[in-house]
Amino acid sequence: VPSRLRATLPPCWRQRALPARKRGSAPTAASLNELLERRILFVAGKGGTGKTTTAAALCLLAAQRGKEVLGVDVDAKGDLAVALGSKGTSFKAEVVQPGVSVLALHAEQSFQEYLNIYFKVPRLARMTPLSKVFDFIATAVPGPRDMLVVGKVAFEERRRDDSRRPVWDLIVVDCGATGHILAQLSAARSMLELVRGGLIRGQIEWIDRVISDGRRTAAVLTALPEEMPVVETIELYGEIAKRRTVHVAMSVLNRMPPEPLPTAARRVLADVATADESVRQRVPGVAHIGADLEFAERLRTSAEAQARRLRAGIGVPVVEVPLISVRTGLATTRAVAAVLHESAGATA
Amino acid sequence: VSAVRAGARTATETLAGRLEDVDVIVCCGSGGVGKTTISAALGLAMAQRSDRRVLVLTVDPARRLATALGMREIGTDPVRVSRARLRQAGIKVEGEMFAAMLDMKSTFDRMVTRMAPSRRDAQRILNNRFYQGISDSFIGSHEYMAMEALYELHQAGEYDTLIIDTPPSRNALDFLEAPDRLTDFVGTKLLSWLAGPTRFGMRAANFAAGPFLHMADRLLGADVLSEVAEFVADLQKIYGGVQQRARDVYKLLRSSDVGFVVVTTLEPAPFGEAEYFCSRLREYRMPLRGVVANRTLPDSLRDRTALATARALADDDKLPSWLSQKLGHRVSPGALHSLGDRWLQFHAMAERDARQLGRLERLGGAEAVRIPLFSEDASELEGLARIAALL
Repeated sequence: VPSRLRATLPPCWRQRALPARKRGSAPTAASLNELLERRILFVAGKGGTGKTTTAAALCLLAAQRGKEVLGVDVDAKGDLAVALGSKGTSFKAEVVQPGVSVLALHAEQSFQEYLNIYFKVPRLARMTPLSKVFDFIATAVPGPRDMLVVGKVAFEERRRDDSRRPVWDLIVVDCGATGHILAQLSAARSMLELVRGGLIRGQIEWIDRVISDGRRTAAVLTALPEEMPVVETIELYGEIAKRRTVHVAMSVLNRMPPEPLPTAARRVLADVATADESVRQRVPGVAHIGADLEFAERLRTSAEAQARRLRAGIGVPVVEVPLISVRTGLATTRAVAAVLHESAGATA
Repeated sequence: VSAVRAGARTATETLAGRLEDVDVIVCCGSGGVGKTTISAALGLAMAQRSDRRVLVLTVDPARRLATALGMREIGTDPVRVSRARLRQAGIKVEGEMFAAMLDMKSTFDRMVTRMAPSRRDAQRILNNRFYQGISDSFIGSHEYMAMEALYELHQAGEYDTLIIDTPPSRNALDFLEAPDRLTDFVGTKLLSWLAGPTRFGMRAANFAAGPFLHMADRLLGADVLSEVAEFVADLQKIYGGVQQRARDVYKLLRSSDVGFVVVTTLEPAPFGEAEYFCSRLREYRMPLRGVVANRTLPDSLRDRTALATARALADDDKLPSWLSQKLGHRVSPGALHSLGDRWLQFHAMAERDARQLGRLERLGGAEAVRIPLFSEDASELEGLARIAALL
C-alpha cells in the first residue's frame, strides 16, 4: 500500500513543496518553544481533525512555560473551554486553568464592542438598525464577519496592563470549521478591497500587518492520517502560502494508530499459537488478540503512507499524535500536550 | 467483494432497498465522515439493484467524488461512469450511474435571471460587486443552491434517483434553513428602509436614519453604503420569486419523494451533530430514511474471552514467569503488557462505538447500517463496491 500511494503522488505537489521547505528551514522554523514564543497562533483544519484539542494542548503547554494565555473559541460552541476542563465559555475571558483564560467569539457582540471601543458608540437601542445593516453586509460580502474574529484577536494582542505589559503573552485561536479558515485569515485583506476609505481602513491595515508577520503570528494545521484530510491539508497549506496571509509553522497529524508491536511481543504471539493445550487454556484469547492487532497494524501502514504524503506536500514539521482511546476533555488535552511536548520539542 | 456479497441481506432489509421508492436521496452529516463516499456507494448500490438512471451530485470540490469513482475529474455536466470500468472492478450494474458536480454560481445566476422582472434588472444584479459575495459566501447560499439545483433536476425528471451529498456546513442544518434565510434576507424590512432614503440625497430628510447613516458612512466610507442600498433595491425585485421557490423546495423536502440519510462516524463530535440532525429532521417533518455509521471498529474487539486474556496479559504479575517456563524461553513482562494494553485500548473504542450505535439507532428509529473501518481508504471502485454491498 505505501509504495502504491507514493507512486500516485502527483509530481506537482513535490514541486510546490520545494520553495516551502526553504521557508521551513528559515529562522522562524518550528520547534515547540519557538512556536510558543509567538503572540498569536491560529489552529486551523477541517472539522473533526482535532483542532480544538490541539489548541487546548498548546494553551496548556504555554501556561506551563509561565505564560499568560488566552484561548479564543471562534465557533462559540464552548468546545475549547470543555477541552480545558471547564463547562462553557462566555464572551468575556474566563480563567479555566492556571494561566489559561478562554473566551468565545460572537459576531454581534464583537461588533458592539468594536464600536464601543473605537468609536465611543454607546450600547443603545440605536444599535439595532446599525447591527442589522452590519448583518446584511456581513452576509453579502466576505470579510466583515471574519474580520471581527481577527480584529478581536488583534485587539486582545494589543491590550496592556497598568505597567504597560501585554495582558496576554500568547493568544491561541481555535479557528472555525470547514472552509472558513482561509476567509478568516485573509479577512483583513478582503476588507481592504471592499473598504476604500473610512476610519476602518487604517485599523484593517494594522491588523493585516500583525497577521502576516511570521515572528508574531503563526498557524498550526491539524490533519488526520487519511487520504482526503491529508490532501485537503496540503491544499490548504498551498492556498495559505500562495496568498501569504499567515506563516504556517507546524502541522499536527492526529489519531495515528500505534506503532508496530515490539519483536518480543510478536514472538509471544507466535509461540503461544504453537504451544501445548495448557498454555492455550490459560490465555485462550491470544490468537484472537493477535488477529485484531494485525488489523491495527494494517491501519498503521496506511496511516504511515498518509503521513509521508503530508510531509512531502508541506514544507513544515509534521508532529504525529497517537490515537488516544476514549478519554475526553481535559484528560485528552493533557495527553496530547505531553505528546506535543516530547515530539515537537525533539524536532527542534 | 464476493465474500461480502455472500453475506448480503435480503432486498427489503438493505438501505438501498428501503430507498427504492424515493426519487431524491439527501445524504447529510458533518464534514469528514465520508458522506461523499457513502453517497457514491449508495448510488452504485441503487444502480446494481435495478435498471434505473442514478445521478450522484456533489458540491464543489468534486475531487472526492471523482476519486471515489476512480475518475480523473467530474464537471458540472453529468458524466456516465462507464460500464467497462465498473466491470473491470468486478461490479455489474443493471442501470446507469452518472456523476456531476453542482454548479452553484450558474444556478444562482439562473435563479436571478428567471426571477428578475426584466433582462436589464437581472443584468444589473449580476454585475453588482456585492452579488459575487452573496452568491459565493452568503451563509447558506451553497446549501440553498444545492436545494435549488436539486429541485430543478427533480422537475426535469431525467433521472430515476438523484443522490446529493450536502455541502460541508459549519452547521449541518444550514441547508434546511437556507430557503427561509434567503427569503428573509431578500425581504427584510430594514432593507427597504435602507434602500428608500439613500437615493438621490433623500436621506438627509429621513429623520430617524440620519445619525445612523452618518455613523455607517464614517465606518465604511460613503460609497459602500449607497452601493449596498442600490443593490438591495434591485434584489427586492426578485423577492416574490424567491419566496415562492422556497415554499416549493420545502414542500418537496417534506414529500414522500425524498428520503434523508444521516451519515456519521462514532467519534464524539460528528456523532453529536448527527444526533442533533436526526432530531431536527423530525422537527421539520422531513423524512429520515436511514442512518449510516461509517468506519466502525470490528465486533471482534468486544469479544469476552479476548477481553479476559488481554487483562491477564496486561496485569497478571504471575503470567510472564509461568509462560517463560511453559515456552522454554524468557518472556518479558513488557512484551506481554504491550500486547494486552494495546488490545484493551482498541477494545475501549469498540465499546464506545457500540454504545453510540445503540443511541443512534434509537434516534433514527431503524437499524443503522454499519460500514466497517477498512484498513485502506476506500478511494477506488473496488473499495466503493465493498461499501455498496453493505448498503
